[in-house]
Amino acid sequence: MLATETSPSAAVGRLVLDQARARNITLFVASVLAAYALQPAMPIRQMDFWLPTASLALAVIIWAATSPALAAHHRPDRATLTDAAIIGGIVLGVAALRFVEPLEGLITRTPPPAVPSVLVALAIVALLALAAGRILGSRPAWTTILVVGLTALLFALKFEPLTQALAATLRAAQGQAAAQASALDVRWLGFSYIFFRLTAALRERASGRLPDMSLREFVTYAVFAPALIAGPIDRPERFVKDLRASFAFNWPDATEGLRRIATGAFKKFVIADVLALFALNEANAAQVQGAGWTWLLVYAYALRIYFDFGGYTDIAVGIARIFGVRLPENFNRPYLKPNLTQFWNCWHMSLAQWFRAYYFNPLTRALRTRAWAMPAIVFLGQVTTMLLIGLWHGVTPNFAIWGLWHGLGLFIHNRWSDFAKARLVIPPERPRLQQAVNIAGALLTFHFVALGWVWFALPDVALSLSVFARLFGL
Amino acid sequence: MDNSIATPIAEYIAGVILKNPKRVIRPDEKLISSGLIDSFHLVDLGLFIEDKFGVRIDDSELNAETFDTLEQLVALIASRR
Repeated sequence: MLATETSPSAAVGRLVLDQARARNITLFVASVLAAYALQPAMPIRQMDFWLPTASLALAVIIWAATSPALAAHHRPDRATLTDAAIIGGIVLGVAALRFVEPLEGLITRTPPPAVPSVLVALAIVALLALAAGRILGSRPAWTTILVVGLTALLFALKFEPLTQALAATLRAAQGQAAAQASALDVRWLGFSYIFFRLTAALRERASGRLPDMSLREFVTYAVFAPALIAGPIDRPERFVKDLRASFAFNWPDATEGLRRIATGAFKKFVIADVLALFALNEANAAQVQGAGWTWLLVYAYALRIYFDFGGYTDIAVGIARIFGVRLPENFNRPYLKPNLTQFWNCWHMSLAQWFRAYYFNPLTRALRTRAWAMPAIVFLGQVTTMLLIGLWHGVTPNFAIWGLWHGLGLFIHNRWSDFAKARLVIPPERPRLQQAVNIAGALLTFHFVALGWVWFALPDVALSLSVFARLFGL
Repeated sequence: MDNSIATPIAEYIAGVILKNPKRVIRPDEKLISSGLIDSFHLVDLGLFIEDKFGVRIDDSELNAETFDTLEQLVALIASRR
């Protein structure tokens, strides 16, 4: 027994295990700290402390509501208490930095709140988590209440009048002038993406498919630092598999990670930033004259948004890769796809996947079993899914139109391909014809998407319409 | 690969989804990531499998990551029966 433990292979095995444990603790602590460090300052005092704290609180409460182990044992075990103590310790530590003047701005942008109010907040979160575990733990179907709550919160943060009202309330609570409240006062870093990860966990729990995750694993999943700001959106089952797989630092993975980071940085900070100089925006949309220049702005915007977001995703995927976490990809050459359906299979893929799994598929299944006619299902499925994706960017007429633009585009493509499937088949012996059709399709798709960005990039309908008028010389 | 599972699925995909009963579905042919089966027909395929084999494939599993080829799908069904 002793001999086995000291054998070289056992020693290597232990080292790998230790590295995996060390890696998991590092990712956990770093992700909790990064939630504070990445949050920008806001005009409302101490919001750059309270919003990341709220992200962590949501993660803890939803873990308690969904943990099968907590539901089975009715009380937190020792590992859970340790993890909770680590989170509480970090939160208090960040708050305590206010006493160390040179380090005051080390983690948060502005001085954190007084320690007693942080202690009260931690106690409230602990009680809410215990209550969530007690009430929802044994009733997975009831977790729908939390999905509704999270969706309402997301809506409040995306709908300007509500965000402004929220800002006014928070200002009043901090003793600041509520009259000066603006929607920009509440910029909750990463919430749009935390929402997807937490609702995914809630839905998986309701369908009985959520793996048993420790508090540490769950919080790391919810606020995973590389993906905190803008995804990719991972699924709990896939993420936790990576955390539990053996891990040893290795150069091939690290080199691949660094290559992705370098590629991403070049795309985002060189290509996208240069394109941004002449990409369509509110200011140049009102000034530009002539169809040619207007097309140039639209093309530049289409490429800028791809290189910017694609570059960001490369960096996120690259950082995670160094730590042995393989985040899902978001882009697969979307602008080269021959039709809109394939474009959406390759653009912001982790978002599209989330909507398929938790909105589109359940809706389609429900309508199919009620024997709705296929075209009606396709219409409702495509249009409402894309409308919701549009509104997720912000509850404004322009984002709604952008969503409808794509929803209708997908519907039309679906009906066309259904019609053409049996009638217009290109024989395999004519590859050139197939290639020509693909190129024409890719050009058409790219222009449809690029014109869609006119709605997305600009703040109001009138300005977008004036850009369309100039593009087509009307 | 278990043909008692594979054959009805291949026939369903070719005949009902692709509307081309003569089309041969190869076991390793990419079905979802290639765009051969669109997202609506994927739900239909899930319902068909549920009816035919009494195996539930969850909404969050209807994607290329869970299964992309006929042989992967057959293995998934066989593992749950």
